[in-house]
Amino acid sequence: MAPKAMIQDNTRCIGCRACMVACKSWNDLPGDVSTFFAGPGYQNPRDLDPHNYTVITYKGIEAGPNGRPDWVFGRLMCMHCVEPACVSACPTTALTKSPEGAVVFNSWRCIGCRYCMQACPFVVPKFDFDRVVPAIHKCTFCADRIQVGRDPACAQVCPTGAITFGDRDDMVQEARRRIAAAPGAYVPHIYGLNEVGGTSVLHLSSVPFEQLGYPANLPDKPPPDLTVKVLHFTPKIFTTVWVTMAVVAMIIRRRIRFWVHDEHDDHDDHDEAERAPR
Amino acid sequence: MPLADPRPRWRPLFWLLWGLVLAAVVTTIIRFATGIATIANVNQAYPWGWWVGFDMLTRIALGGVGFTMAAAGEIFDIRGFRHVVRAALLVGLLFYLTYAAVLIVELGRPWMIWWVFLSWAPTSAMYEVALCAVAYTTVLILEFSPLVLAKLGRTVTVRRINAVYMLIVITGISLSSLHQSSLGTLLMLLPTKVNPLWHSELLPVFFLFSAIMAGPAVMLVEHTVATHFLRRQPRMNVLISLGRGLTVLIVLYLALRLGDVLYRGVADQALSFGFEARWFWLEIVIGLLAPLALLLTPDIEQRKWRLCAAGACVVIGVVLNRLNAAVITMKVHSWETYHPAITEVLISVGALAAMVLAYAYLVRWLPIHTEPPLTPGSATAPSPSDGLARVAS
Repeated sequence: MAPKAMIQDNTRCIGCRACMVACKSWNDLPGDVSTFFAGPGYQNPRDLDPHNYTVITYKGIEAGPNGRPDWVFGRLMCMHCVEPACVSACPTTALTKSPEGAVVFNSWRCIGCRYCMQACPFVVPKFDFDRVVPAIHKCTFCADRIQVGRDPACAQVCPTGAITFGDRDDMVQEARRRIAAAPGAYVPHIYGLNEVGGTSVLHLSSVPFEQLGYPANLPDKPPPDLTVKVLHFTPKIFTTVWVTMAVVAMIIRRRIRFWVHDEHDDHDDHDEAERAPR
Repeated sequence: MPLADPRPRWRPLFWLLWGLVLAAVVTTIIRFATGIATIANVNQAYPWGWWVGFDMLTRIALGGVGFTMAAAGEIFDIRGFRHVVRAALLVGLLFYLTYAAVLIVELGRPWMIWWVFLSWAPTSAMYEVALCAVAYTTVLILEFSPLVLAKLGRTVTVRRINAVYMLIVITGISLSSLHQSSLGTLLMLLPTKVNPLWHSELLPVFFLFSAIMAGPAVMLVEHTVATHFLRRQPRMNVLISLGRGLTVLIVLYLALRLGDVLYRGVADQALSFGFEARWFWLEIVIGLLAPLALLLTPDIEQRKWRLCAAGACVVIGVVLNRLNAAVITMKVHSWETYHPAITEVLISVGALAAMVLAYAYLVRWLPIHTEPPLTPGSATAPSPSDGLARVAS
């Protein structure tokens, strides 16, 4: 199956949070007693957590499209990177990238090292710090739904068409088309097209993405590129060090046997009798 | 084996250490009964915190004393070093074992750790660190075991291990070069979180280099302190060689580190004296410039405590370097910073106390420090070769 992608068109979002409800519903996530907090208005909860795989963010801006103060919405969820840092980081391959593009987590293999949380540039994987038997939790891209040819739950329920799902190539074309068709309504940037090597969620916005609170200035190079090329040398480093040390040891030990009565002999110390038995 | 230092003067210290170990054990029980959040401030944005910064990155770096001294003593056969290899192996082994102990607390699901050995994850630095650290701990146990086995009278086993001793040592050095550098690779994957003053494509080289540098530094501290407490004559020739080696390593590391900061164009951040820059300079001054100044004083070769202080400075510098990179200056987009909880640090302190206790008992039981005892005669009539003149008095 071709890699899939999702357009998150924030200009069409009305902040109804149907996607959050659908996500909880499909993934059987428990409800939380939550409270409003100081800061961005009606946003709730504050961030992703083990029970919330997606959150609509609310930001008030001074001047919206009609010159009056306005809301702009953004969405937190797993970006399902094309080259996911979390998958490259996992020491037990509990995280995998499916052919459809979903980054999925298998809690059975997880040892709880939390390197995936560190590796994620979008701070997405969440961990049950307060549970005795914890696990990592994150958006699954509804991999189970995709496999049977259905859209992810959030894309299915969005009432305004802010979430569009399809093949990634088509979605990139569609995102470009929307920006070209209404240049004033969008900032000319597809967030996720090149960020950290490309993601499977492509965000569009009417205001710069920094204002939505998205991580800005992400490198275009996938982070795993930095480490994989180093780790690639592992067998070579091992062999080189091993052989070098063996050769040095042989040369130096031979020298000692030749010059055993020489002044270079190290037996000027006081405890030959007590050396460990060799 | 005595349960406390036989000298009454030090008994309160020993009970304090036991108390710290007990407190850490109680904290561990609470952690497993209620979850990590009860005892630690690690959170959704800063999931590693103090435990990884100190107990993983720093403990393993300081545990590098095992492979550096084994290389210096057994491979390069530097004069006199073979006599301190045993102590180095013990200290290295204790660092690795206490790291393993803290790892059980730190990991979310330590009972699943066996999955690492059934997985194939060559793209993961954590995977490489895990495999190599386990393999190297095994190597350290093998390297150290002849002392214990000889004490227990298992001479046949000792002979078998000694027959392949050099192969074990060489394998240990190779494994160490791998996982010491992979700890740097571990942080290299986080270009958006690790501060540019520390995030470099040379991180694996820096981590390996500073672990090598930590070797003689830990050894200087261990030898001076141990011989002082055990009332033995310190091996001044070894201390002097360690000091010389350390001088060269510090100069090279300093050049590489500052050169890298200049090359990557973050020198202006280093000179800005912001929060990160202050920690950067603290690390450079305490960890590199101060010990260098101490080591370059003209009469250093007669001053064992000054050598010890230089070693201690480098150790603090390595601790600061790891904490700076992974905890203090780490910033996650749109999240406040992280401060460790007292109970989080208590786990580490308890593990350190356990290390000191295990060390104190083992050096009395095993022939690790076999230097002749300090006698009134040795103070007045030092042998000309080992420069004991000032230190013993």
